[in-house]
Amino acid sequence: MSQQARQLQILKLFQQQQGAYLSGAEISRVLGVSRTAVWKHIEQLRSLGYRIEAVTARGYRLHGSPDLLLPAEIRTELETEVIGRELVYFAETDSTNDRAHALAREGAVEGTVVIAEAQKAGKGRLGRHWVSPPGVNLYASIVLRPSIAPRQAPQLTFLSAAAVARAIAEMTRLRPTVKWPNDVLLSGRKVAGLLNELDAETERIRYLVLGIGININMTADQFPADLRYPASSLALETGSTVSRRLLTCALLRQLDKLYALYLEQGFEPILQAWQDYFDLTGQQVEVSEQAGICRGRVLGLDGEGALLLRLADDSVKRILAGDVRPL
Amino acid sequence: MDIKDIKVLVKLVTQTDITEFELENGDQKLVIRRGSAPVVTAIPAPVINPVQQTPAPFVPTSAAAPEAAPEMPVKSATEGCEKVLSPIVGTFYRSPSPESESYVEVGSVVEKGQILCIIEAMKLMNEIEAEFKCKVVKILKENAEVVEYGETLFLVEAL
Repeated sequence: MSQQARQLQILKLFQQQQGAYLSGAEISRVLGVSRTAVWKHIEQLRSLGYRIEAVTARGYRLHGSPDLLLPAEIRTELETEVIGRELVYFAETDSTNDRAHALAREGAVEGTVVIAEAQKAGKGRLGRHWVSPPGVNLYASIVLRPSIAPRQAPQLTFLSAAAVARAIAEMTRLRPTVKWPNDVLLSGRKVAGLLNELDAETERIRYLVLGIGININMTADQFPADLRYPASSLALETGSTVSRRLLTCALLRQLDKLYALYLEQGFEPILQAWQDYFDLTGQQVEVSEQAGICRGRVLGLDGEGALLLRLADDSVKRILAGDVRPL
Repeated sequence: MDIKDIKVLVKLVTQTDITEFELENGDQKLVIRRGSAPVVTAIPAPVINPVQQTPAPFVPTSAAAPEAAPEMPVKSATEGCEKVLSPIVGTFYRSPSPESESYVEVGSVVEKGQILCIIEAMKLMNEIEAEFKCKVVKILKENAEVVEYGETLFLVEAL
């Protein structure tokens, strides 16, 4: 058993004690390690930020947890069917998407969730960097293996965006909006980004990775000055710290619900869930595409999720890719 | 294109619900038509159940007019070359980021599983890998060009 697994087991024992003392002898019996080893694990948990009190003849007592995203902490509140079936945790990694790819290639089950407290090489679109300081945000990647055709896979972008928007609404009581097709905003500033990656044969999906980054308790000084789009965090928008653990549980729950709905009823209800947070219908926008910039009024989305614009010459333009900004 | 190729194509077309098929290759043009009036029917997307124990019934959810299912992206022999087709509608990228080098150039020899390009659709990045060891003979799309489902991206020669 790894050191991390032992620490998680100790945390689980503390949770079962519900604030009562737990003797070192009991811990060493359950874990099958020496009392000295138990003491070392307790010291390591303390260094992670757990406040553990030790009283002679009574044992250890947990009376304060840092807001970490350890699997043992997440699992207690999860209540999901598929998403989070397996939870893989890193204190720090290169990129959760890259870890999820590696696990999926080795056969990780559908619903495997990779979470990291920090990313050294957080990925954005097309080689861009996702700023990932430790301990303040959520960086998660989810492995899915839906039995759909590869050309339907882009639909999952709307699914993860809707799940993120719902989780943020649930936790903050604020009204997030979605920027077509995938970013989630609060007061017009980006608080979450998605990077979904597909591994498919010509007609079969091997797996899909949903990458989700949410700025939760990031402070203003942690944002780089040269961001492409104005950004914020849930804490900056609400004015108070948000529990990362509860937000993570809320997100995985929403993903679980929407994914079950998608497999059962297809894309339509997912698109509807997404549209609950879309506020640009009827608005004038500017879309920068590869080919150039166009302006028009948003008519809505078609059944595939493409953006429909009414241009100045009254024609309707169907947009599949581009950066949308309200005018 | 010789008579053997045409035979293969006719067989391919008749095995599907495609009523009309056109292929242009240099100065050659081949048209295969079936039946009198073209009948357009909605065909459910192929349901493939790789690892799920309880396969969910799945219906394509296009709200647009139903169209005949395009030919599945298969690799068909064309003058000793094989085609690499796009599995989705999206934007074709030859490199992982605008600053980095292209994954492949004409003449590149790639191993099975090596990345040829990325197709992006709705912010979903789809890395297209070589399905066998091959040499890139032709790159048919420009970087950042929009590609359709089933369109040819590369001509490659199996090695």
